[in-house]
Amino acid sequence: MDDYKQLYEAILNGNFKIAKEVTQQALDKNADPQMLVQEYMIPAMNEVGRRYEANEYFVPELLIAARAMKASLELIRPLLVQQGAQPAGRVVIGTVKGDLHDIGKNLVAAMLEGSGFEVIDLGVDVSPEKFTTAARDNNASLVAMSALLTTTMGSMKSTIEALKSGGVRDKVKIMIGGAPITQRYADEIGADGYSSNANGAVALARKFVGIQ
Amino acid sequence: MDIHSLRRRDHRGRTGQGVSSAIHIKLVPLGVDLHVNVHTPLHDILFQHGVEFPCGGKGQCKGCRVRVMEGTLPMSDEERRLLTDEERRAGWRLSCRHTAQTDLTLHVAQWESAILADDSHFTFVPRDGIGIAVDIGSTTLVAQMIELRTGTVRAVNTALNHQARHGADVMSRVGFGVNHAGRRILVDMIRRQILTMIEKFLETSPAARDELTDIVLVGNTVMHHLFCDFDLEPLSRYPFSSPHLDSWEGTPAELGWRIAPHARVRVLPCFGGFVGSDILAGVLATRIHQSEKLICLIDLGTNGEIVIGNQERMRCCSTAAGPAFEGARIKMGMRAATGAISRVRIQDGQLQAHIVGEGSAPRGICGSGLVDAVACALDLGLVHSSGRIPQPPHKLPLIDPVHLTQTDIRELQLAKGAIAAGVRILLHELGASVDDVERVHLAGAFGNYISVASARRIGLLNIPADRIHPAGNTALLGAKVALFTDKESIDDLARRISHVGLSSHPQFQDIYVEEMTFPTSAVYQQS
Ligand code: B12
Ligand code: FES
Repeated sequence: MDDYKQLYEAILNGNFKIAKEVTQQALDKNADPQMLVQEYMIPAMNEVGRRYEANEYFVPELLIAARAMKASLELIRPLLVQQGAQPAGRVVIGTVKGDLHDIGKNLVAAMLEGSGFEVIDLGVDVSPEKFTTAARDNNASLVAMSALLTTTMGSMKSTIEALKSGGVRDKVKIMIGGAPITQRYADEIGADGYSSNANGAVALARKFVGIQ
Repeated sequence: MDIHSLRRRDHRGRTGQGVSSAIHIKLVPLGVDLHVNVHTPLHDILFQHGVEFPCGGKGQCKGCRVRVMEGTLPMSDEERRLLTDEERRAGWRLSCRHTAQTDLTLHVAQWESAILADDSHFTFVPRDGIGIAVDIGSTTLVAQMIELRTGTVRAVNTALNHQARHGADVMSRVGFGVNHAGRRILVDMIRRQILTMIEKFLETSPAARDELTDIVLVGNTVMHHLFCDFDLEPLSRYPFSSPHLDSWEGTPAELGWRIAPHARVRVLPCFGGFVGSDILAGVLATRIHQSEKLICLIDLGTNGEIVIGNQERMRCCSTAAGPAFEGARIKMGMRAATGAISRVRIQDGQLQAHIVGEGSAPRGICGSGLVDAVACALDLGLVHSSGRIPQPPHKLPLIDPVHLTQTDIRELQLAKGAIAAGVRILLHELGASVDDVERVHLAGAFGNYISVASARRIGLLNIPADRIHPAGNTALLGAKVALFTDKESIDDLARRISHVGLSSHPQFQDIYVEEMTFPTSAVYQQS
């Protein structure tokens, strides 16, 4: 079996071009796409997340690593679909209504994607209705919300209410985050989980879908 | 305000701690009478009374000069250099160079007749009456009473904004004031507090009661809305576009003030988003709108407002840098008070920290110290350009127990990156480059204290040092200019400055992330 350690390194160092090249070469040699994801991509993103959480990496490093990961995943994804491979879970993510801060949300989305989740990113200023419809239509297992303003935190509560009245609350786990959010606030509004950073978001998501 | 409880200390100042002998200081022509501790820097005393220090109190501009009427102040090198023989003989000194050692009566030049603290060409049409200019800051309120015939400052008053107990930053205040009851509290509070400041002026100068003709107020969009009693709901969420950005004009009675019934009260207009009339006033004070070359005004506060432009076109934005420069969100961060590290430099290959109030115990670090510390640490390789502190335990010790953590450096990266990105985007919108910018004015207290070299070293300001100038409280200066400027010209000026919303700007994220790292020394030396 070939060793694609280079893919791991390229993602870790955020080398977009090499990540793409190595992936293409591997696929040309009929490498198993699932193997590439499981053995190289996910471990690389795990390490990126660990370094970010340990404060070794910061936003720029995390973002370029995510870009390299995405370049590689773009080549692999069609094959995964062909094989009918199942994602770890399907996440609907967005920044809540009234808020346009999305750097943190993008990092969380990228980390989830790099950990084998299928991510449906609704973008910013997402209304409770839009969250609800998207969760329902995509049969999501997780809803992730981000808010950076003390004045928009309240939208998280309204979104949870909308999910309830839309009949989807029981089908999804809800996690929330963003600078002003706390575990206490998550408990108060009845969210299932909170994390202060992107790596913690992955750990939560894994726990919710039953992966260790 | 009680001078014994001075919070702000000049980094050069010696502490008066433990010494109880009081010195009597009289400031004319306002007739301020004070007792202060021996060794208190004159800078601190005057700053509390609204005097500006145009060069940041570095003995480079003589904007802070005072004339010794009684008592003595020794001569410093800067005075020998900056002042003429005649001036020195007449007793002029640079107040930023001295501490209080004996009883003094000082004549403050800035209170004489200049409207602006610098040598500006602002010309005004003299008329009868008294005007009051007020800067409604989210933290501090400053008011000055002006004689409109001569432009002389007759009195100055400062106070801490009482609203702060309902939220430190403007967003938290919006949160408190979106509902009706909260808004009532905040509106009443600010109107009452400003009325008290005005009444204090009128008490000490009863003649002014009848002569008061004009009151001009400036503030950021939230302060503007709260003073005028406008709905805060539009400011609580995207797109943050309030229908009430215009100037407000009315009588004291409409505000519930029983003073000067014939006076005219004006609140200057805002631009959009969170960029308010304090910044408009800053434009008036720095005269960006009359300049041929591009001029830049940066307020290094929590909201990080920036204006760049010239007589043809002007753009503004707010970058939401956060409170890191004020020492908030930094583990050992604090205001520039006794015990704060305010300066750091390299000596014999080591970081050497200077503490406010020499000899006092180190307690924390303020914004200027933070920027210095990281600049020096970059030069020594103690911090990488990525922001990483490579050596375990990944801390930057300064003076025991004060240190910076890795997270502190990350906070600084977020804040400085936001400002630097804002400048780049405005320049991009104007189709200009850094080389086209002739002058950068740093507004606000922090702009006076920060070392320009360090700000450049960390990539906060990527502009040649000789073009960067601390500008003091440009909001108050502009409010004074507005006393002599008609409503139409001001409204017209506000219309000429367009607001660039960064949230929806397609390049913001990429540029921001680029600006989050620190310049490598090679890059830095080139510029
Ligand atoms: C960058 C920035 C902006 C940019 C946003 C660009 C963008 N596309 O996102 C711009 C300049 C446009 C902006 C605008 C505004 N901003 Co702003 N902004 C910031 C800033 C400097 C950094 C935020 C950031 O990106 N951090 C980096 C990321 C990586 O961290 P993060 O978002 O916290 O995300 C991490 C975690 O929280 C977590 N996480 C995030 N989401 C989720 C979700 C889940 C499910 C989980 C589990 C975890 C999780 O994981 C992430 C990665 O580890 C902060 C100040 C600061 N230093 O934090 C202010 C700040 C958030 N902004 C603030 C304000 C007020 C505004 C404005 C309203 C005002 C203004 N001055 O213009 C506007 C409104 C914009 C809008 N429409 O929403 C305030 C909020 C204050 C308050 N009390 O609410 C802050 C705190 C600054 C301040 N003034 O004090 N801002
Ligand atoms: S000389 Fe004192 S402030 Fe400039």
